[in-house]
Amino acid sequence: MATSFENLPEELQLATSAHVKYIQSLDTRKDEYDYWLTEHLRLNGLYWGLTALHLLGHPEALPRAETIDFVLSCQHPNGGFGAAPGHDAHMLSTVSAVQILAMINAFDELETRGTGKAKVGKFIADLQNRQTGTFAGDEWGEEDTRFLYGAFNALSLLGLLHLVDVDKAVDHIVACANFDGGYGVSPGAESHSGQILTCVAALTIAGRQDLIDTDRLGRWLSERQVASGGLNGRPEKKEDVCYSWWVLGSLEMIGKAHWIDRDKLVAFILRSQDPENGGISDRPGDMVDVWHTCFGLAGLSLLEYPGLQPVDPVYCMPKTTVQRVLGQSWKKTPLSSSAGSI
Amino acid sequence: MATNGSGTSHGIARTSRARTEEQRHQELEKIRKYRELEDQVRSQAAQKEFGPELFQLTSKLLRLNPEYYTVWNIRRRSLISGLLSRRSDGSSPLTESPISSQTATTQASSAVSSSSSSDATPPSHESQTTGKSGTIAEDSRNVDGEHEHASNKQQDSDATKAAAEKQDLDVLKSELAFTIPLLLESPKCYWIWSYRLWVLEQAIQRLQVPVARRIWQEELGLATKMLTKDRRNFHAWGYRRHVVATLESASLGGESMVEAEFDYTTHKINQDLSNFSAWHNRSKLIPRLLDERGADDMAREALLNQELGLVREGLNVGPDDQSLWYYHQWLMLNLVDHVGKPTIVPHFTLENRVTYFMREIREIKDLLEDYKDVQLIYESLVDYTLSLCQLEERQPNADEKGELVRWLDKLRKLDPMRSGRWTDLERDIGLKKLRQKQTQ
Ligand SMILES: [Zn+2]
Repeated sequence: MATSFENLPEELQLATSAHVKYIQSLDTRKDEYDYWLTEHLRLNGLYWGLTALHLLGHPEALPRAETIDFVLSCQHPNGGFGAAPGHDAHMLSTVSAVQILAMINAFDELETRGTGKAKVGKFIADLQNRQTGTFAGDEWGEEDTRFLYGAFNALSLLGLLHLVDVDKAVDHIVACANFDGGYGVSPGAESHSGQILTCVAALTIAGRQDLIDTDRLGRWLSERQVASGGLNGRPEKKEDVCYSWWVLGSLEMIGKAHWIDRDKLVAFILRSQDPENGGISDRPGDMVDVWHTCFGLAGLSLLEYPGLQPVDPVYCMPKTTVQRVLGQSWKKTPLSSSAGSI
Repeated sequence: MATNGSGTSHGIARTSRARTEEQRHQELEKIRKYRELEDQVRSQAAQKEFGPELFQLTSKLLRLNPEYYTVWNIRRRSLISGLLSRRSDGSSPLTESPISSQTATTQASSAVSSSSSSDATPPSHESQTTGKSGTIAEDSRNVDGEHEHASNKQQDSDATKAAAEKQDLDVLKSELAFTIPLLLESPKCYWIWSYRLWVLEQAIQRLQVPVARRIWQEELGLATKMLTKDRRNFHAWGYRRHVVATLESASLGGESMVEAEFDYTTHKINQDLSNFSAWHNRSKLIPRLLDERGADDMAREALLNQELGLVREGLNVGPDDQSLWYYHQWLMLNLVDHVGKPTIVPHFTLENRVTYFMREIREIKDLLEDYKDVQLIYESLVDYTLSLCQLEERQPNADEKGELVRWLDKLRKLDPMRSGRWTDLERDIGLKKLRQKQTQ
């Protein structure tokens, strides 16, 4: 199927070098007010940008030494990371820090120059609610399945998943399941594609995919594709490039990525890129940002767009990274790849 | 300006990034002011100067940038270490267990006789006027010492206690007022919602139950308002469920609100049949509603019929509405997948269940007379025919197989985007062979 994309008209070719330049430019925009308003996302942004560069095959486009310096400058003595120096430690930025260090193979630096893996693990593990199994984002207690997934993601990369009560967390995810096969933020909450990816990926990390109603979930997820080819996050909502990741990644993990129209989705993502200045936006014609650039490219990678590095749907990092850190990465089950054989 | 290269943005049109020298200059000035304010906040926080001045600065900064989660945390610390009169120390539910306010205040004043507990941290109560900045708390001062020389300690202690609660009430109310305009402007900002919930938790920990209850009750009004502005905002729906659960809980001396909430979903659905968030909430409320009504078998069946009727009315005019079909699926799932789950009609016999399935399939087929090319109709027919077989623990019979083949053909034509799904489905129900036979 990879050959079919080469027949796309020129405006639907991936603007690789523009995207690389765009990501490289992000940290030079200090004369823009928005650069300062978004400092609370700096470490996440670095993860999004770096993932995009790795998938584009330009991992060296951000200098490794400076990246490590910046990540470690965000760490607190308790092991947690803030979004930027001077920002409080939070689960979301801590997970980004771990993912960045994994991608650039720098866990050693965490031992020698940071607090060490063990403290990072403890910071994350302490955020588990031992009664319900779910996780908070920080000491102030907001709970959400996003944080649970983040904890599983980072702890498994660090080899420290045993620090938390995995079974309790799994029970909590099951309690978040809805009749449509999807999952919400917390028990009782409506199914939402972002939350579904976090729950499906956490169950996959825990080795408990057997608890997922894959047929019903696959159906619901496939119905997220709308006429434009893009995917929405919930019924009767607008399509958005970032759901190319949340929906398609979930479909991939349950072996049903072939339940949507790949070519149409590829075209939708490519129509949303800014071919001149680089970057991808939520929809064609909108302002680009690094979040949609990352998840648009990750979607294209899952869609096997030619030239992109394969992405791991559980971790949203290059498969080569996950392979190196864990000794294995996510594989399609024989069942899912047999689909085209009829 | 619309550029948001470093963060995330939704629905903002792509425009030229070119700025005139004048615009660039203005932006640099804006940045300078912002960073100056930020520096002040961060250096005072680093020195643990959580006084009223820092508190006021956080208001300023959060109005400029409500996503700045660290500043929300600094604001919490400011409240705990001064503006809220009594330390609860229960502010961080993960690391410390909530301590009742009684114990907490005693800690602060061990030198004073046991019944008189809060002399050490008398609250300010002369500051209830709203300041220029719009919040009361900003103008509050922890006027340590003003009451120290009161002549009658016992009397003063009671008065102080009441005053302390009054101040807490004022501070918390002022915090709730502070976040409203920010929420209206950024209704999808996680940090504002979670800060607001933290403030509300403080109300439970620090105020008398009836007082705290009134505050939480008003929150329901906010949830309603937010859902009027955006009927699908999942933050607001989640917030509403949380507020309702808390109002129902023993900590606020509450009782069930399931009837009222059920009525609310009816109201939202009547306004807009496509509001799946409302249908979803309804599906969560119905099992509880029936239990709490002590509904007998007849009442249960009546409710099932009422709900099926409600969806059918919608489908008759809008058969391409996914929300309606998802809710219909939930109702039908109650008939198949009912073991060990809360369900509408646990008493139904297999015969009852089969009858309902056949009736619904018939009704859906009727829709085909008016709507020949609506994919969701065919999808449901396939789905429910297979469910019927599952229920009766049998394979599709010859007639059903013929229908399934026809419907799947139609689905492939109407919905080629999901052809992979139709192919899998065909394989799973063993229609491939049948099709080959037919075409021979
Ligand atoms: Zn998006």
